[in-house]
Amino acid sequence: MDISRSYRKKMDVSRKYEDFLEFRRQENSNFLWVSRTLHPQVAYIQETPPTPSLHKHEVLHSPKIQELLEKLSIAQNVPKTYFEKQVKEILDEIGYNKSIKIIRWLGMVLTKICLKVSSGIYINGNKVQQIRSMMGNCPVIFVPSHRSYADFILMSYMCFTYEIAIPAIAAGMDFQGMWGMGTMLRDTGAFFMRRSYNDDSLYWTVFKQYIYQLMTRGDLPLEFFIEGTRSRSNKSLMPKFGLISMILKPFFFAQVPDVLFVPVSISYDRILEENLFAYELLGVPKPKETTSGFFKSLKILKEHFGSIFFHIGEPISSKEFFGNSIDRSIHNIAPLHKQELTEQEKSAIPPLAFEILNKQQQGFVLTIFNLVALTLNNTYTNKDKLPNILELKHKVQWLKGVMESLGAYIHCDDVERGIRECLVVHRNLICFNSDNEVCLVENQIQQGKINTVKLKAHQLTDQVMTYSVPFVELQLYVNPTLFHIVNLAILLAVIQKEGILNKEDLWDRYHFLRSLYAMEFVIPAQMEHTVFESALEHAIALNILRLAANKYDLGTNEELQNLLHNSFKPFLVSYSTVMLVLQNSPQTCEQKTILANVQRLLEDAINDREEFVHPYTLNLDTLNNCLNSLCAMLILKKIIRENVLSFEIDKRQLDVIKRRLDVYIPSLRINEDLLVNQQLQNKL
Amino acid sequence: MPPPPSQSEKIKEPIFVKSVIPKRRQELLKWNGWGYNDSKFVVNVDEKQNIQVYFTGKRYPIGEVPLTHLAQWAIDMLNIDLTKPPKTSQPLPTESQYPESKIPQSILQQLENLGISHSIDVVDRVVRAHGQTLHDVYTLRNSVFERIPDVVVWPTCHDDVVKLVNLSNENNIVVIPYGGGTAVSGAVECPTNEPRPIISLDTTQMNKILWLDRDNLVACCESGIIGQDLERELGKMGFTTGHEPDSYEFSSLGGWVATRASGMKKNTYGNIEDLVVHVKMVTANGVLEKNCQVPRLSCGPDFNHVILGSEGSLGVITEVVIKIRPLPKCRKYGSIVFPNFETGVKFMREIAKRRLQPASIRLMDNEQFKFGMILKPEEGYFSLVLDGLKKFYLTKIKGFDVDQICVMTLLFEGDESDVKLSEKKLYEIAKQFGAIPAGETNGERGYMLTFVIAYVRDLALEYDVVAESFETSVPWDRAITLDRNVKQVVTNECKRLGITHFIINSRVTQTYDAGCVIYFYLGFNHKGLGDPVVLHNKLETKARDEIIACGGSISHHHGVGKLRRRWYPKTVSNVGLNLYLSVKKELDPKNIFATNNLVQSKL
Repeated sequence: MDISRSYRKKMDVSRKYEDFLEFRRQENSNFLWVSRTLHPQVAYIQETPPTPSLHKHEVLHSPKIQELLEKLSIAQNVPKTYFEKQVKEILDEIGYNKSIKIIRWLGMVLTKICLKVSSGIYINGNKVQQIRSMMGNCPVIFVPSHRSYADFILMSYMCFTYEIAIPAIAAGMDFQGMWGMGTMLRDTGAFFMRRSYNDDSLYWTVFKQYIYQLMTRGDLPLEFFIEGTRSRSNKSLMPKFGLISMILKPFFFAQVPDVLFVPVSISYDRILEENLFAYELLGVPKPKETTSGFFKSLKILKEHFGSIFFHIGEPISSKEFFGNSIDRSIHNIAPLHKQELTEQEKSAIPPLAFEILNKQQQGFVLTIFNLVALTLNNTYTNKDKLPNILELKHKVQWLKGVMESLGAYIHCDDVERGIRECLVVHRNLICFNSDNEVCLVENQIQQGKINTVKLKAHQLTDQVMTYSVPFVELQLYVNPTLFHIVNLAILLAVIQKEGILNKEDLWDRYHFLRSLYAMEFVIPAQMEHTVFESALEHAIALNILRLAANKYDLGTNEELQNLLHNSFKPFLVSYSTVMLVLQNSPQTCEQKTILANVQRLLEDAINDREEFVHPYTLNLDTLNNCLNSLCAMLILKKIIRENVLSFEIDKRQLDVIKRRLDVYIPSLRINEDLLVNQQLQNKL
Repeated sequence: MPPPPSQSEKIKEPIFVKSVIPKRRQELLKWNGWGYNDSKFVVNVDEKQNIQVYFTGKRYPIGEVPLTHLAQWAIDMLNIDLTKPPKTSQPLPTESQYPESKIPQSILQQLENLGISHSIDVVDRVVRAHGQTLHDVYTLRNSVFERIPDVVVWPTCHDDVVKLVNLSNENNIVVIPYGGGTAVSGAVECPTNEPRPIISLDTTQMNKILWLDRDNLVACCESGIIGQDLERELGKMGFTTGHEPDSYEFSSLGGWVATRASGMKKNTYGNIEDLVVHVKMVTANGVLEKNCQVPRLSCGPDFNHVILGSEGSLGVITEVVIKIRPLPKCRKYGSIVFPNFETGVKFMREIAKRRLQPASIRLMDNEQFKFGMILKPEEGYFSLVLDGLKKFYLTKIKGFDVDQICVMTLLFEGDESDVKLSEKKLYEIAKQFGAIPAGETNGERGYMLTFVIAYVRDLALEYDVVAESFETSVPWDRAITLDRNVKQVVTNECKRLGITHFIINSRVTQTYDAGCVIYFYLGFNHKGLGDPVVLHNKLETKARDEIIACGGSISHHHGVGKLRRRWYPKTVSNVGLNLYLSVKKELDPKNIFATNNLVQSKL
């Protein structure tokens, strides 16, 4: 499959979405609807339809598990039944259930909640019907984006609405601890997976066999989050390869004819957890998911969350994707349960994972608020006069044109009405000031006594928190737009600082920055060039750059240049500061110390107020992305001792990279001041 | 059952067998389809547009009775409108359709001198230019072959063959051995780019039973003897080889050896490689054979296995010493109904594990089970199923799903008490699998239909439907997924190619200790979709790729020929491929056996 084509492909702007709550709003009785006779379409029809307990039974009695138990029994001189009991317990911890009663009941509750707090749940219904009609012949895997807890509940609700069998959903163990919630999720098809740092080999063998079982003998669709966890930043995270490898194993072993992956992009007008995310990004520890927390979150019923958008992507057939690059016959000799994936197969998986993620990213629907956020963010960064509604409308209108030309899909009937709706939905974040200008809402934050053990980095002052939280929340809504503009912003940053360049040099600089930011704005290495070419075309078309005598120079679209510049700047500052701190750290340094020092430096810079430093620069997600990226470049080496993560720093290489990066840093004045500052602090 | 021959009875050896099949094959057999001229499916439409389908002739028990359900089935499954006039075949080929024979006059003269019968008649040549693949039959009916033999020769003994091979080798003429003409691998087709003259060496006039060895229970036969002739003649003397491939009415002993054939009753009698005790093959370098007629020997690599499966590419098999057995005293059919395919396969696995296989054991999938019902003259799917058992019992009491039911057919051979015991054991185990014995009639019908089913394709071709079968062998633990995946792949590929009406079904036809054999039937309506042979090849290629991905083999008994060449190197490894090529080079340095089977020769 030619993946590069899909990276070039322009988004179809003429997408069609239907509000599937509309029927609920109109019908006389939601109760009749939730209790209707269901004809759910399963993914993979089996001669004998399996039950949840059959799955557990077959896993326990699979040759793989049985042989392992015999081995353990002999090695430890303990009766096999002892381990069988353990396996049963593990299976009870993992396995999903199905209770149609609970599903209907939940369907009822969700209907009521959604009708109350949202203005609609939109979906490209034609695609759902198409996928439904394709189902039955092989495992189907729904792969939704993960930006809110609401994702999987709404996915199941969507399936319930469209009569698709509710998927077996891979969920994190943290849910299981929530009283009542764990059971309820399990009853609606969730199965549970421990975090990967757990290294209980019996557990993982059983878990893998359970997935194998669901894939080969199960009939339900599967659902999992390829990013592994909720994105707190509202932009895509690097894909994880563990679960998808387990899912693909039966395909590589030719035990299923194909595996269809359905990328699903779920966008929210307003994210349920926006406030929580802002705190987490700044390093305030995440409260453990407890049921009381859940009930507290029922407060949301008083709020309004606008619209939710499901974009169901074109299914990706594993068989077509891998084509002839995978020879499944290599597993023909020796029993399958004694075989594992080959290195070649393992290395074939990441491109598919990235492709699914790419399809998610292309699928996201942007709303007016994303454009409002981008505009306001830019205004604050420039310290410009705040816009009144008319000015805002013009800016958003203009941005909408730009974004659409870049392939983004923006859901909007009427810009002004859209903005007014934003002011209602996001009244906790934006409002009119006394001059009738649109501005950020300021709420005094008092943190009280903080358990410093739970702090992930530096303890920010109340003042900085009060100032920063609105900016970070706003950035959550800027972030989804960056997928479309970051490549332009990088090209611009290069030409702005280095002047006229030929294409080769431009590619060289672009490639340096793009790969440094490959985890921040997820892109697989092999796609960089394709994306570069396409971004160049757009940059010329939008007059950000111009091409003269085969060289690239600045274009004249200053307004857009300013916007691009400002939207990328926080990321440049964060990365540069991380490197600065690393340069001044000991050879081996704990992650927490690094993060705290970075935040401390930036906190000072923000307090300085002389020059606008965006509070989003403080966010740990970006700082960690930088550390991970440096790890991937072998400049840092991860060391984990007693559950504490440290980095070993290759300072020579770091200096090289830092010098290259600093070329593009808008102002170095801050950094040098900070450096002095830090050295002072170190002395204290 | 014939009386056992008395010991005193002197049989004159060699036995000159009068074959059922005449030297001019086309007088008895279809020149453009399968089997006998007088046996075929025909469609009658009366003025009221009532359709009646029946099978002609009395050779098979299904003959001359109306098959009332076939027409509706054809419409439902394959969108065939039987009221439409059928697409007829072109007439017998004429001289003008094909290039003149390239055989030099001098060679013909030498043949004359050797006293070897030969013909350059175009029909004789066309009849031996092909086997029974879809491509072959479709070409016969609608167009012309790119290349046909230049002359047909009929040697009558081993020495004739030696002379012919020498003559060809000296004059650099290509020889393609031809036996029963039932190959479904493209093995007898002439390589299209062959510039040299091509001789088709028809072995059918070399069909004597040279001698019988009652002490050791072996018979020495010439390779051209046809299955049914061999069985008939041996039967007269109270013997059988027990080798009964589905094509045995028409296929030859030499062909069996050359393709590594497998018979329906291999559980009792063995496959051809188990039956062959000694074999002679005439190569360009001389005759390959052994100096003894022993049950087994430890003497380096067994060169019988160079001959077995050589597909005419290394030489001509002329004489075979084959095992024979006394005719069984008792022969009994049986059948068992299973709730679904998977249970049926599990049962077979169990029977194989306990080595309780009767002479034959086969499991038809649901679609084939239904098709078998369709070919019944009586009314209703279930009217005759299972002596005395009614649909109600099966579906309501036993809870079987009509769309999942599978039927197993059984054939027992041996002493009466052994057969009884075997039946008892089998049916007992079947019960443990939740299956129900379904009587002898169904079993017998199943085996009879095996012979008739080959005729269906000729009818289908008249209504824009093409059909073909393909098979594989597979380890037990992968049988069910292979079956399922292949059907899925074919279904997907049909959709992709725009094929809306198709059938893809299967049966498990053989069991072994370590695996089984799955036999697929594929048919589709190609109206408006372009060349059906090209379409079919696409489908079969995808199917074979999937078979191999799922742990199946390139072929269990059909052979490689030209059709499955592309999977040969990977099947045997590169070393294996080179080993074959060096054997080829040693035995046939001039490549006169340029069949291009197994490997495309580099000419």
